[in-house]
Amino acid sequence: MQPIIQVNNVSKHYSVERTSSIAPTLREVLTLKIRRPHTNGNHENGSDLWALRDISFSASAGEVIGILGRNGAGKSTLLKILSRVIKPTHGEVHLFGRVGGLLSLGTGFHPDLTGRENVYLNGAIIGMKRAEVRQKFDEIVAFAEIERFIETPIKYYSSGMYLRLAFAVAAHFEPEILLLDEVLAVGDGAFQKKCLERMRQVSSQGRTILYVSHDLPSVQKLCSRALLIEDGQLLEDGAPEEVTASYIKILVASSQES
Amino acid sequence: MAIGEGLPVKSDRAPLLTLNADRSPIFLGLIETWRQRELFYFLVWRDLKVRYRQTALGVAWVVLQPLLMALVFTVFFSRLGHFDSGGIPYPVFAYAGLLPWTFFANSVSTGSSSLLANSYILTKVYFPRLLIPLSVVAVRFVDLLVASLVLFVLMPFYGMGLGRNILLLPAMILITGLFALAVSAWLSIVSVRLRDVGTLLPVLIQLWMFLSPIIYPATFVPARWRALYSLNPLVGIIEGFRAAFLGVPFVWNSIIVAAVLTAGLLIYVVYVFFRWEDRIIDKL
Repeated sequence: MQPIIQVNNVSKHYSVERTSSIAPTLREVLTLKIRRPHTNGNHENGSDLWALRDISFSASAGEVIGILGRNGAGKSTLLKILSRVIKPTHGEVHLFGRVGGLLSLGTGFHPDLTGRENVYLNGAIIGMKRAEVRQKFDEIVAFAEIERFIETPIKYYSSGMYLRLAFAVAAHFEPEILLLDEVLAVGDGAFQKKCLERMRQVSSQGRTILYVSHDLPSVQKLCSRALLIEDGQLLEDGAPEEVTASYIKILVASSQES
Repeated sequence: MAIGEGLPVKSDRAPLLTLNADRSPIFLGLIETWRQRELFYFLVWRDLKVRYRQTALGVAWVVLQPLLMALVFTVFFSRLGHFDSGGIPYPVFAYAGLLPWTFFANSVSTGSSSLLANSYILTKVYFPRLLIPLSVVAVRFVDLLVASLVLFVLMPFYGMGLGRNILLLPAMILITGLFALAVSAWLSIVSVRLRDVGTLLPVLIQLWMFLSPIIYPATFVPARWRALYSLNPLVGIIEGFRAAFLGVPFVWNSIIVAAVLTAGLLIYVVYVFFRWEDRIIDKL
């Protein structure tokens, strides 16, 4: 089975600088000599951080993969790399399909613009063509259930309306590979149900989904496979029930430590 | 399969995209930037729409800014300072110089903080980041078009007409825009690493204004300093704008200097921008 994503030994390192000093920075920019990030792996220096260490896995088309881990484990970093927002320090990712990253909802929403204007703007930012947005516009508005307020600036929207609109645009975004970073975690019960249903629809169309979530029941329901990330490393890759169990063990262990 | 090993499944197809730490060629970056021009259009549209929604003056501010400055300069420097504006009525002389200046100065002051200001989308979605300073300059270009309408009222008022020189106006606007883009793009990158840029910049822009022939004509500068003075691309640009609108002869030396310096700076800055943009995102 051909993979649609292949992640090979990806690592991400951040250097936390204490202060930016003018002279080295200006010198770097003027001479175009960029200080390369540390290439040797042994950094126990407390001010440096390996957010991801040697992550490898592959995904086939149509898989729905849950990604579990504690806060700060590196899940968002992984998704940012896969959606091209940041570059890995080592390793590489091969993508065999187009990626749509939904790392948050309503990216680019501006409070002074109307619902309609924001739909187009948000669509353009996440990667939908204007023609596509125009074609799906009525469906998007209907899904969000805000026909009455679509011409009102969104600063007047309640948080629920804002979320419904943001999710409605996202739900009509149809890349081959969809990356979700805890975006289903918001809204009330009815809304969450709608979101889950939509995700199920999307996956039945054969799209690949990587789904970061803390909501274990939804991971069990939607995903055929799960990854467990802890402290930047991939600990487990397998059936959702088993990975969930391991994740719970980690949570329990850490809460007993504190 | 063992965790941590690269999986043995390899595809015989070539990947659509490979993401790694390697630098990609700049021309690919430029092609991608061009491909995303629809997003560019939306960023410009967003800034224009928001400004007109947020301010009561809206469109009027675009005209008022250079107009009020021209008024102040006329009162203080024409009446009291007596600059020889070469037969041109001073208000027109000042306004024609203020047009490219406000285009440049506003582009740079907004553009230099544009990556910081848009960090909330840059950290969530990928798109060619050059689009951000590009969209800032494009918005100011629209402002320039609106503000230049005033000249079409002011000039007839003083009995002045447009000559053939106006044909070179598009070229002058292009040079100004590219120069503004180069400076903004460079500063937008630097200011992510050095937040001091935000505080220093207004002072530097003020200084630059006095070093450019806005309030006074370039001829006011003593001959022995003129060559050095003309190394400021804005000298060629501003004089060029005046020549295009007001019919005075073009000063080709300073225009050529401006064009060459702009081209060189732009190439350098595009190179720097594409080399640095990914590292910058880590710092946003």
